[in-house]
Amino acid sequence: MKLIPHKRSREVEAWLRKEDAEQKKRYRKIVKEQDALEPKRNKWVADFLARIQTRGTHVHYDQMRKVSPEEIPTKPKRKFRVVF
Amino acid sequence: MARPHIEPFVDRDVSFKKLNLPGFPKGMQYKMLSLDTDNGACSMTVLFEPGYKQPPGMSYTEYELFIMNGSITVGDKVYGPGSYFFVPAGVTIGALTSSRGATGLLFYNHGEPSFVESDSDHPRAERNRFSTVNAYDDLQWSSTNFFPATAPGCFVKILHFDPRTFGFTFMYCMTPNFWQDNISYHDCVEEAYHIWGTSWMMQFGDLPTGGYFYRPPYINHGAFGCKLGTLAIGRTDTQLYNHFHFNPWTNIEENRERAASRLLHRNPELYKWVNNHGHNHPVDFDFDHGHAHGDVAHHHGDGQVEHKHKKKPRRRR
Repeated sequence: MKLIPHKRSREVEAWLRKEDAEQKKRYRKIVKEQDALEPKRNKWVADFLARIQTRGTHVHYDQMRKVSPEEIPTKPKRKFRVVF
Repeated sequence: MARPHIEPFVDRDVSFKKLNLPGFPKGMQYKMLSLDTDNGACSMTVLFEPGYKQPPGMSYTEYELFIMNGSITVGDKVYGPGSYFFVPAGVTIGALTSSRGATGLLFYNHGEPSFVESDSDHPRAERNRFSTVNAYDDLQWSSTNFFPATAPGCFVKILHFDPRTFGFTFMYCMTPNFWQDNISYHDCVEEAYHIWGTSWMMQFGDLPTGGYFYRPPYINHGAFGCKLGTLAIGRTDTQLYNHFHFNPWTNIEENRERAASRLLHRNPELYKWVNNHGHNHPVDFDFDHGHAHGDVAHHHGDGQVEHKHKKKPRRRR
Protein backbone atom coordinates (compact mmCIF):
# COMPACT_ATOMS: atom_id res chain seq x y z
CA MET A 1 0.00 0.00 0.00
CA LYS A 2 1.91 3.00 -1.28
CA LEU A 3 -0.97 5.42 -1.01
CA ILE A 4 -3.94 5.27 1.34
CA PRO A 5 -7.09 6.54 -0.38
CA HIS A 6 -8.24 9.85 1.06
CA LYS A 7 -10.05 13.00 0.06
CA ARG A 8 -8.05 16.09 -0.83
CA SER A 9 -9.06 19.36 0.75
CA ARG A 10 -9.68 22.53 -1.27
CA GLU A 11 -6.54 24.08 0.23
CA VAL A 12 -4.45 21.19 -1.05
CA GLU A 13 -6.01 21.39 -4.52
CA ALA A 14 -5.26 25.13 -4.63
CA TRP A 15 -1.68 24.53 -3.46
CA LEU A 16 -1.16 21.91 -6.18
CA ARG A 17 -2.47 24.27 -8.86
CA LYS A 18 -0.12 27.01 -7.68
CA GLU A 19 2.88 24.69 -7.57
CA ASP A 20 2.00 23.32 -11.01
CA ALA A 21 1.99 26.84 -12.44
CA GLU A 22 5.35 27.60 -10.83
CA GLN A 23 6.80 24.36 -12.14
CA LYS A 24 5.69 25.20 -15.69
CA LYS A 25 7.46 28.54 -15.34
CA ARG A 26 10.58 26.79 -13.98
CA TYR A 27 10.52 24.33 -16.89
CA ARG A 28 10.34 27.13 -19.47
CA LYS A 29 13.29 28.88 -17.80
CA ILE A 30 15.34 25.68 -17.92
CA VAL A 31 14.57 25.16 -21.62
CA LYS A 32 15.58 28.77 -22.36
CA GLU A 33 18.84 28.44 -20.43
CA GLN A 34 19.65 25.13 -22.09
CA ASP A 35 18.96 26.56 -25.55
CA ALA A 36 21.39 29.37 -24.76
CA LEU A 37 24.02 26.78 -23.86
CA GLU A 38 23.99 25.29 -27.36
CA PRO A 39 27.22 26.88 -28.72
CA LYS A 40 29.18 25.58 -25.71
CA ARG A 41 27.46 22.21 -25.98
CA ASN A 42 28.40 21.88 -29.64
CA LYS A 43 32.04 22.41 -28.66
CA TRP A 44 31.75 19.81 -25.86
CA VAL A 45 30.23 17.32 -28.32
CA ALA A 46 33.01 17.92 -30.85
CA ASP A 47 35.63 17.39 -28.13
CA PHE A 48 33.85 14.20 -26.99
CA LEU A 49 33.71 12.77 -30.51
CA ALA A 50 37.44 13.48 -30.90
CA ARG A 51 38.33 11.93 -27.53
CA ILE A 52 36.47 8.66 -28.15
CA GLN A 53 38.54 8.17 -31.31
CA THR A 54 41.84 8.67 -29.52
CA ARG A 55 41.38 7.70 -25.86
CA GLY A 56 38.23 5.61 -26.36
CA THR A 57 34.70 5.39 -25.01
CA HIS A 58 33.74 3.62 -21.77
CA VAL A 59 32.02 0.30 -22.45
CA HIS A 60 31.96 -1.15 -18.93
CA TYR A 61 33.73 0.14 -15.81
CA ASP A 62 37.36 0.69 -16.90
CA GLN A 63 36.96 -1.09 -20.24
CA MET A 64 37.25 1.34 -23.13
CA ARG A 65 37.37 0.98 -26.87
CA LYS A 66 38.51 3.36 -29.56
CA VAL A 67 35.80 4.35 -32.01
CA SER A 68 36.76 4.35 -35.68
CA PRO A 69 36.03 7.43 -37.82
CA GLU A 70 33.38 5.47 -39.81
CA GLU A 71 31.41 4.88 -36.62
CA ILE A 72 31.17 8.54 -35.67
CA PRO A 73 27.52 9.59 -36.01
CA THR A 74 26.52 12.60 -38.08
CA LYS A 75 24.37 15.35 -36.66
CA PRO A 76 20.75 15.06 -37.83
CA LYS A 77 18.96 18.08 -39.26
CA ARG A 78 16.38 18.19 -36.47
CA LYS A 79 16.81 20.49 -33.47
CA PHE A 80 19.25 19.17 -30.87
CA ARG A 81 17.02 18.83 -27.80
CA VAL A 82 18.40 17.97 -24.38
CA VAL A 83 15.34 18.84 -22.26
CA PHE A 84 12.20 16.84 -23.06
CA MET B 1 1.74 14.59 -17.74
CA ALA B 2 3.28 13.19 -14.61
CA ARG B 3 6.52 14.98 -13.76
CA PRO B 4 8.30 17.02 -16.43
CA HIS B 5 11.99 16.78 -17.16
CA ILE B 6 13.53 19.18 -14.65
CA GLU B 7 17.25 19.40 -15.42
CA PRO B 8 19.21 21.19 -14.25
CA PHE B 9 17.69 23.15 -11.37
CA VAL B 10 19.66 24.72 -8.53
CA ASP B 11 17.63 25.22 -5.37
CA ARG B 12 20.09 27.81 -4.04
CA ASP B 13 18.70 30.18 -6.67
CA VAL B 14 15.29 30.27 -4.95
CA SER B 15 14.05 31.06 -1.44
CA PHE B 16 12.30 28.81 1.05
CA LYS B 17 8.52 29.16 1.32
CA LYS B 18 6.37 28.41 4.33
CA LEU B 19 4.49 25.11 4.14
CA ASN B 20 0.93 25.94 5.10
CA LEU B 21 -0.88 22.76 4.17
CA PRO B 22 -3.68 21.45 6.41
CA GLY B 23 -2.39 19.19 9.17
CA PHE B 24 1.22 20.36 9.11
CA PRO B 25 2.43 22.30 12.14
CA LYS B 26 3.91 25.76 11.62
CA GLY B 27 7.66 26.09 11.27
CA MET B 28 8.37 24.00 8.19
CA GLN B 29 9.59 25.62 4.96
CA TYR B 30 10.22 24.14 1.53
CA LYS B 31 11.61 24.59 -1.95
CA MET B 32 9.79 22.57 -4.59
CA LEU B 33 12.20 20.52 -6.70
CA SER B 34 9.66 18.62 -8.81
CA LEU B 35 5.98 17.81 -8.67
CA ASP B 36 3.84 15.09 -10.26
CA THR B 37 0.85 17.05 -11.46
CA ASP B 38 -1.32 13.91 -11.69
CA ASN B 39 -1.05 12.63 -8.13
CA GLY B 40 0.73 15.40 -6.18
CA ALA B 41 3.86 13.33 -5.46
CA CYS B 42 6.81 15.66 -5.06
CA SER B 43 10.42 16.16 -4.05
CA MET B 44 11.34 19.12 -1.86
CA THR B 45 14.22 20.64 0.02
CA VAL B 46 12.84 21.33 3.50
CA LEU B 47 13.83 23.50 6.42
CA PHE B 48 12.70 22.74 9.96
CA GLU B 49 12.89 26.06 11.79
CA PRO B 50 14.60 26.11 15.23
CA GLY B 51 11.99 25.05 17.78
CA TYR B 52 9.94 23.06 15.25
CA LYS B 53 7.50 20.66 16.92
CA GLN B 54 5.40 18.05 15.17
CA PRO B 55 3.20 15.63 17.10
CA PRO B 56 3.19 11.89 16.36
CA GLY B 57 1.52 11.25 13.03
CA MET B 58 1.40 9.66 9.61
CA SER B 59 1.13 10.47 5.91
CA TYR B 60 -1.31 8.98 3.39
CA THR B 61 1.60 8.36 1.02
CA GLU B 62 4.94 6.71 1.61
CA TYR B 63 7.73 9.24 1.99
CA GLU B 64 11.48 9.45 2.43
CA LEU B 65 13.39 12.00 4.51
CA PHE B 66 17.13 12.67 4.41
CA ILE B 67 18.75 15.10 6.86
CA MET B 68 21.50 17.25 5.33
CA ASN B 69 22.28 19.76 8.08
CA GLY B 70 21.35 20.23 11.72
CA SER B 71 19.37 17.57 13.55
CA ILE B 72 15.88 16.38 14.36
CA THR B 73 14.66 14.36 17.30
CA VAL B 74 12.10 11.62 16.71
CA GLY B 75 10.75 10.18 19.93
CA ASP B 76 13.80 10.36 22.18
CA LYS B 77 16.47 9.76 19.53
CA VAL B 78 18.49 12.48 17.82
CA TYR B 79 19.10 12.16 14.07
CA GLY B 80 21.87 14.25 12.55
CA PRO B 81 23.29 14.73 9.04
CA GLY B 82 23.09 11.59 6.91
CA SER B 83 19.99 10.24 8.65
CA TYR B 84 17.57 8.64 6.23
CA PHE B 85 13.99 7.46 6.83
CA PHE B 86 11.75 5.39 4.59
CA VAL B 87 8.23 5.69 5.98
CA PRO B 88 5.45 3.62 4.36
CA ALA B 89 1.98 5.11 3.96
CA GLY B 90 0.04 5.16 7.21
CA VAL B 91 3.02 4.37 9.44
CA THR B 92 3.13 6.69 12.43
CA ILE B 93 6.41 8.17 13.57
CA GLY B 94 6.90 9.65 17.02
CA ALA B 95 6.90 13.33 17.87
CA LEU B 96 9.42 15.15 15.66
CA THR B 97 11.22 18.18 17.00
CA SER B 98 14.20 20.26 15.98
CA SER B 99 15.52 22.52 18.71
CA ARG B 100 18.22 24.18 16.60
CA GLY B 101 16.76 23.61 13.13
CA ALA B 102 17.61 21.29 10.27
CA THR B 103 17.53 21.06 6.49
CA GLY B 104 16.78 17.95 4.50
CA LEU B 105 15.24 16.38 1.45
CA LEU B 106 11.66 15.13 1.59
CA PHE B 107 10.21 12.87 -1.08
CA TYR B 108 6.46 12.13 -1.14
CA ASN B 109 6.33 9.18 -3.50
CA HIS B 110 2.74 8.53 -4.53
CA GLY B 111 0.61 11.44 -3.39
CA GLU B 112 0.70 15.05 -2.21
CA PRO B 113 2.30 15.93 1.16
CA SER B 114 -0.02 15.04 4.02
CA PHE B 115 0.24 14.84 7.76
CA VAL B 116 -2.38 13.37 10.07
CA GLU B 117 -1.82 13.53 13.81
CA SER B 118 -2.08 10.02 15.23
CA ASP B 119 -0.69 7.83 17.99
CA SER B 120 -1.15 4.63 16.06
CA ASP B 121 -0.61 3.24 12.55
CA HIS B 122 -3.37 3.34 9.95
CA PRO B 123 -5.02 -0.11 9.60
CA ARG B 124 -3.52 -0.44 6.11
CA ALA B 125 0.00 0.60 7.10
CA GLU B 126 2.87 -1.77 6.36
CA ARG B 127 5.02 -1.19 9.42
CA ASN B 128 7.46 -3.94 8.39
CA ARG B 129 8.63 -1.80 5.44
CA PHE B 130 9.74 1.10 7.65
CA SER B 131 13.51 1.61 7.69
CA THR B 132 16.03 4.13 8.91
CA VAL B 133 19.80 4.32 8.52
CA ASN B 134 22.57 6.87 8.84
CA ALA B 135 24.14 7.08 5.41
CA TYR B 136 27.36 8.63 6.73
CA ASP B 137 27.99 6.43 9.79
CA ASP B 138 26.27 3.09 9.11
CA LEU B 139 27.18 2.30 5.51
CA GLN B 140 30.39 2.01 3.50
CA TRP B 141 31.02 3.03 -0.09
CA SER B 142 30.92 0.30 -2.70
CA SER B 143 31.33 0.20 -6.45
CA THR B 144 28.14 0.38 -8.46
CA ASN B 145 26.72 -3.07 -9.09
CA PHE B 146 25.00 -2.12 -12.31
CA PHE B 147 26.25 -3.88 -15.42
CA PRO B 148 27.56 -2.36 -17.57
CA ALA B 149 29.06 -0.32 -14.77
CA THR B 150 29.92 3.33 -14.41
CA ALA B 151 33.60 4.23 -14.74
CA PRO B 152 35.94 3.79 -11.74
CA GLY B 153 35.58 6.60 -9.21
CA CYS B 154 31.82 6.54 -8.76
CA PHE B 155 30.71 4.88 -5.51
CA VAL B 156 27.33 4.23 -3.94
CA LYS B 157 25.60 3.46 -0.65
CA ILE B 158 22.15 1.90 -0.98
CA LEU B 159 19.72 3.50 1.45
CA HIS B 160 16.55 1.75 0.33
CA PHE B 161 15.70 -0.93 -2.22
CA ASP B 162 12.20 -1.90 -3.36
CA PRO B 163 12.18 -5.66 -4.01
CA ARG B 164 9.14 -5.40 -6.25
CA THR B 165 10.16 -2.61 -8.64
CA PHE B 166 13.96 -2.73 -8.10
CA GLY B 167 13.74 1.03 -7.65
CA PHE B 168 16.20 2.31 -5.08
CA THR B 169 17.42 5.35 -3.18
CA PHE B 170 21.16 5.76 -2.87
CA MET B 171 23.90 8.10 -1.88
CA TYR B 172 26.62 8.44 -4.48
CA CYS B 173 29.94 10.16 -4.76
CA MET B 174 32.28 10.96 -7.59
CA THR B 175 35.94 11.15 -6.69
CA PRO B 176 38.01 14.19 -7.70
CA ASN B 177 38.91 14.00 -11.39
CA PHE B 178 36.21 11.44 -12.15
CA TRP B 179 35.42 11.16 -15.84
CA GLN B 180 33.34 8.85 -18.00
CA ASP B 181 33.40 9.20 -21.75
CA ASN B 182 30.12 7.75 -22.94
CA ILE B 183 26.46 8.71 -23.11
CA SER B 184 23.95 6.92 -20.93
CA TYR B 185 20.21 6.57 -20.61
CA HIS B 186 17.99 4.32 -18.50
CA ASP B 187 14.60 2.59 -18.61
CA CYS B 188 13.78 4.20 -15.27
CA VAL B 189 13.27 7.67 -13.93
CA GLU B 190 16.41 9.05 -12.33
CA GLU B 191 16.44 11.84 -9.79
CA ALA B 192 19.37 13.36 -7.90
CA TYR B 193 20.35 16.21 -5.60
CA HIS B 194 23.89 17.46 -5.01
CA ILE B 195 24.59 17.72 -1.30
CA TRP B 196 28.05 19.02 -2.07
CA GLY B 197 30.19 19.49 -5.14
CA THR B 198 29.96 20.19 -8.83
CA SER B 199 29.78 17.66 -11.64
CA TRP B 200 29.51 18.20 -15.36
CA MET B 201 27.46 16.58 -18.10
CA MET B 202 27.91 17.21 -21.79
CA GLN B 203 24.22 18.07 -22.33
CA PHE B 204 23.55 20.27 -19.33
CA GLY B 205 26.89 21.75 -18.21
CA ASP B 206 27.79 22.10 -14.51
CA LEU B 207 25.53 20.94 -11.69
CA PRO B 208 26.74 22.59 -8.47
CA THR B 209 25.94 22.13 -4.77
CA GLY B 210 22.16 22.35 -4.43
CA GLY B 211 21.80 21.15 -8.03
CA TYR B 212 18.91 18.85 -8.80
CA PHE B 213 17.44 16.90 -11.68
CA TYR B 214 14.35 14.78 -12.31
CA ARG B 215 14.94 12.91 -15.53
CA PRO B 216 12.27 10.70 -17.15
CA PRO B 217 13.38 7.47 -18.89
CA TYR B 218 15.40 7.30 -22.13
CA ILE B 219 16.95 10.78 -21.98
CA ASN B 220 20.61 11.05 -22.92
CA HIS B 221 23.08 12.23 -20.29
CA GLY B 222 26.87 12.16 -20.34
CA ALA B 223 29.76 12.30 -21.01
CA PHE B 224 30.53 13.01 -17.36
CA GLY B 225 33.22 14.82 -15.42
CA CYS B 226 33.93 16.00 -11.88
CA LYS B 227 36.99 18.04 -10.89
CA LEU B 228 36.82 18.24 -7.10
CA GLY B 229 34.41 15.48 -6.09
CA THR B 230 30.66 15.33 -5.51
CA LEU B 231 28.37 13.92 -2.81
CA ALA B 232 24.76 13.37 -3.84
CA ILE B 233 21.49 11.53 -3.23
CA GLY B 234 19.96 9.62 -6.14
CA ARG B 235 16.69 7.75 -6.68
CA THR B 236 15.15 5.56 -9.34
CA ASP B 237 11.59 4.24 -9.68
CA THR B 238 12.57 0.88 -11.23
CA GLN B 239 15.72 -1.06 -12.09
CA LEU B 240 18.61 1.05 -13.31
CA TYR B 241 20.31 -0.32 -16.40
CA ASN B 242 23.05 1.67 -18.10
CA HIS B 243 22.33 1.83 -21.82
CA PHE B 244 25.70 3.22 -22.96
CA HIS B 245 26.41 4.61 -26.43
CA PHE B 246 28.24 7.49 -28.08
CA ASN B 247 25.67 9.18 -30.34
CA PRO B 248 24.93 12.62 -28.80
CA TRP B 249 21.90 13.26 -30.99
CA THR B 250 19.56 10.32 -30.40
CA ASN B 251 16.12 11.16 -29.04
CA ILE B 252 13.78 9.44 -26.57
CA GLU B 253 11.99 7.35 -29.23
CA GLU B 254 15.24 6.05 -30.71
CA ASN B 255 16.64 5.25 -27.27
CA ARG B 256 13.46 3.42 -26.28
CA GLU B 257 13.48 1.35 -29.47
CA ARG B 258 17.07 0.39 -28.85
CA ALA B 259 16.23 -0.62 -25.28
CA ALA B 260 13.31 -2.75 -26.54
CA SER B 261 15.57 -4.37 -29.11
CA ARG B 262 18.00 -5.23 -26.33
CA LEU B 263 15.16 -6.80 -24.36
CA LEU B 264 14.31 -8.91 -27.40
CA HIS B 265 17.87 -10.20 -27.63
CA ARG B 266 18.52 -10.69 -23.92
CA ASN B 267 15.11 -12.00 -22.82
CA PRO B 268 13.61 -13.43 -26.04
CA GLU B 269 11.13 -15.76 -24.32
CA LEU B 270 9.88 -13.06 -22.00
CA TYR B 271 9.65 -10.59 -24.87
CA LYS B 272 7.55 -13.08 -26.90
CA TRP B 273 5.27 -13.84 -23.98
CA VAL B 274 4.64 -10.18 -23.21
CA ASN B 275 3.68 -9.62 -26.84
CA ASN B 276 1.28 -12.57 -27.02
CA HIS B 277 -2.36 -11.82 -27.71
CA GLY B 278 -4.94 -12.75 -25.16
CA HIS B 279 -5.49 -12.08 -21.53
CA ASN B 280 -1.89 -11.89 -20.52
CA HIS B 281 -1.42 -9.88 -17.39
CA PRO B 282 1.72 -10.70 -15.44
CA VAL B 283 1.26 -12.15 -11.98
CA ASP B 284 4.06 -12.18 -9.46
CA PHE B 285 3.59 -14.93 -6.90
CA ASP B 286 5.52 -12.79 -4.40
CA PHE B 287 3.09 -9.89 -4.56
CA ASP B 288 -0.58 -9.09 -5.05
CA HIS B 289 -1.37 -8.51 -8.68
CA GLY B 290 -3.42 -5.81 -10.35
CA HIS B 291 -6.71 -7.64 -10.50
CA ALA B 292 -6.75 -8.03 -6.75
CA HIS B 293 -6.69 -4.34 -5.96
CA GLY B 294 -6.89 -2.62 -9.33
CA ASP B 295 -3.71 -0.72 -8.62
CA VAL B 296 -1.13 -2.19 -11.00
CA ALA B 297 -0.91 -1.17 -14.65
CA HIS B 298 -0.79 -4.15 -17.01
CA HIS B 299 -1.97 -5.13 -20.48
CA HIS B 300 -3.86 -7.82 -22.34
CA GLY B 301 -1.48 -8.28 -25.25
CA ASP B 302 -3.09 -5.38 -27.07
CA GLY B 303 -0.29 -2.89 -26.58
CA GLN B 304 -2.26 -0.84 -24.10
CA VAL B 305 0.33 -1.30 -21.43
CA GLU B 306 -0.82 1.37 -19.04
CA HIS B 307 -4.40 0.45 -18.24
CA LYS B 308 -5.76 -0.44 -14.85
CA HIS B 309 -8.93 -2.16 -13.72
CA LYS B 310 -11.31 -0.20 -11.58
CA LYS B 311 -13.17 -1.93 -8.82
CA LYS B 312 -16.63 -2.84 -10.00
CA PRO B 313 -19.27 -1.34 -7.74
CA ARG B 314 -21.67 -3.88 -6.27
CA ARG B 315 -25.25 -3.59 -7.44
CA ARG B 316 -27.75 -2.81 -4.76
CA ARG B 317 -30.97 -4.72 -4.92
